[in-house]
Amino acid sequence: MKPAPFDYIRPATVAQAVDALDQHAGMARVLAGGQSLVPMLGMRLMRPSALIDINGLEDELGRIECSGSETTVGALVRYATLERSPVISERLPLLAHVVRYIGDRQVRNRGTLGGAVAQSDPTGEMGLVCLALGASVLARGSGGERTIPIEQFFEGSYANVLEPEELLVALRFPLAPSRCRFFERGRKHNDFALISVVAVGSEDADGRWHDVRIALGGINDRPVLAPAAAARLEGARWDAAAIEEAAQLALEVADPPDDVRASADYRRHLVPVHVRRVLTDLAAGEDR
Amino acid sequence: MSDTVEITVTVNGTVHREQVSVREHAADFLRHTLGLTGTHVGCEQGVCGMCTVLLDGQAVKACLLLAPQLDGHEVETVESLAPGEELDPLQQAFKDAHALQCGFCTPGFLMTATALGREGRALSRDEIRDELAGVLCRCTGYEHIVTAVERYLAETPARERADV
Ligand SMILES: Cc1cc2nc3c(=O)[nH]c(=O)nc-3n(C[C@H](O)[C@H](O)[C@H](O)COP(=O)(O)OP(=O)(O)OC[C@H]3O[C@@H](n4cnc5c(N)ncnc54)[C@H](O)[C@@H]3O)c2cc1C
Ligand code: FES
Ligand code: FES
Repeated sequence: MKPAPFDYIRPATVAQAVDALDQHAGMARVLAGGQSLVPMLGMRLMRPSALIDINGLEDELGRIECSGSETTVGALVRYATLERSPVISERLPLLAHVVRYIGDRQVRNRGTLGGAVAQSDPTGEMGLVCLALGASVLARGSGGERTIPIEQFFEGSYANVLEPEELLVALRFPLAPSRCRFFERGRKHNDFALISVVAVGSEDADGRWHDVRIALGGINDRPVLAPAAAARLEGARWDAAAIEEAAQLALEVADPPDDVRASADYRRHLVPVHVRRVLTDLAAGEDR
Repeated sequence: MSDTVEITVTVNGTVHREQVSVREHAADFLRHTLGLTGTHVGCEQGVCGMCTVLLDGQAVKACLLLAPQLDGHEVETVESLAPGEELDPLQQAFKDAHALQCGFCTPGFLMTATALGREGRALSRDEIRDELAGVLCRCTGYEHIVTAVERYLAETPARERADV
């Protein structure tokens, strides 16, 4: 397989990368881990005029930085780094855990956090975790840098609000709630998910939960929060009845696709089942 | 638009300076330009793992790397394992455990397991399976492959694995 012709550009700085994106007026593509982009080029699902290879920009885009309660992860930080980073396992244990559900060793050695978020696969694990943790996307264009709350980032299947001339430079995470649980059901080991569920929150000494967020993947054209379900559990003690109500409320945001992996009906059936299980496990002290 | 670029890449310890097409993937470069046909090509879309090589010591799928991306990097292919007539301990473990039949997938497994061995971690069978999951085999049913890697990790001292 061979991609259609393109210009290969290897910028030495982020500023040069942004310049190159600008010069190609929306026709160029950023090449990060290449784990989604290179197959798409080979299948000619995409014919960019240029590829801007950011793999040489480790210094500017490959860092994990902590500032107070915030953790900023550069766009070029690879999955394998997230798996092994002591800073990530301490500050964002959910991210460190969930990354192991992506692809395989080889994919995780190359794929990047920024690439995954930019790819905006509706079943992708990284978008889901960023949503659950309330991350912000830092993007740079010729006009400067902007910060996009993740809730406003995804626009649809493989679609987001990044301008084609913008470079995603980092994801910024606020302090993570103390408790989290993730589940995904796929057709094969580590394949893209049919459905994935994340619940996070903190439990106070009284047994009441706060900062509850529930995020779902694979059941809409993008990863979505389930605000009604979370609201039902906010400030509450979680008994079986509360959990069951929340699980049903999660269906409010379900608008699942019918595709080769599963029917929409089956996906809808899975929503309350797995939301209930995830919440039950979390309430029982089974994290991750 | 320039269709080719010059790259300098170290492959199995030898420095090569070559003109490459920017549209070519790294597995084709290794096979067609350098004649290193031990790196196999199956799906060319990152799914089968046949093309696994080490890039700066990390297992990666060469069909998802463009040849120009190799510039300034170090690549190890299956040809690096046994420079002479004698098999390397990992290859020997594959032979002893009957971990190959047609052998098409073998280079992919050998390179994935080579990188794994150098990490020096003790791994359960399940963990080994997980680490090898990026390479498919249509012949063996995997059991013997897992056994070969398990034995290799258990029987070859970590230092020797790092030396390979
Ligand atoms: C066998 C296999 C299994 C996989 N399994 C999974 C899985 O289970 N779950 C999952 O989520 N993913 C999976 N993937 C996809 C993988 O996670 C990709 O790594 C990821 O989707 C894209 O990251 P990347 O760094 O490889 O980006 P690339 O492939 O380089 O780029 C992807 C897209 O994002 C754009 N882009 C990349 N970086 C930036 C940036 N900094 N700024 C602006 N745009 C950018 C590119 O232009 C391109 O359009 C799998 C891939 C393979 C080959
Ligand atoms: S040929 Fe590279 S993964 Fe199949
Ligand atoms: S031995 Fe034939 S594909 Fe693995």
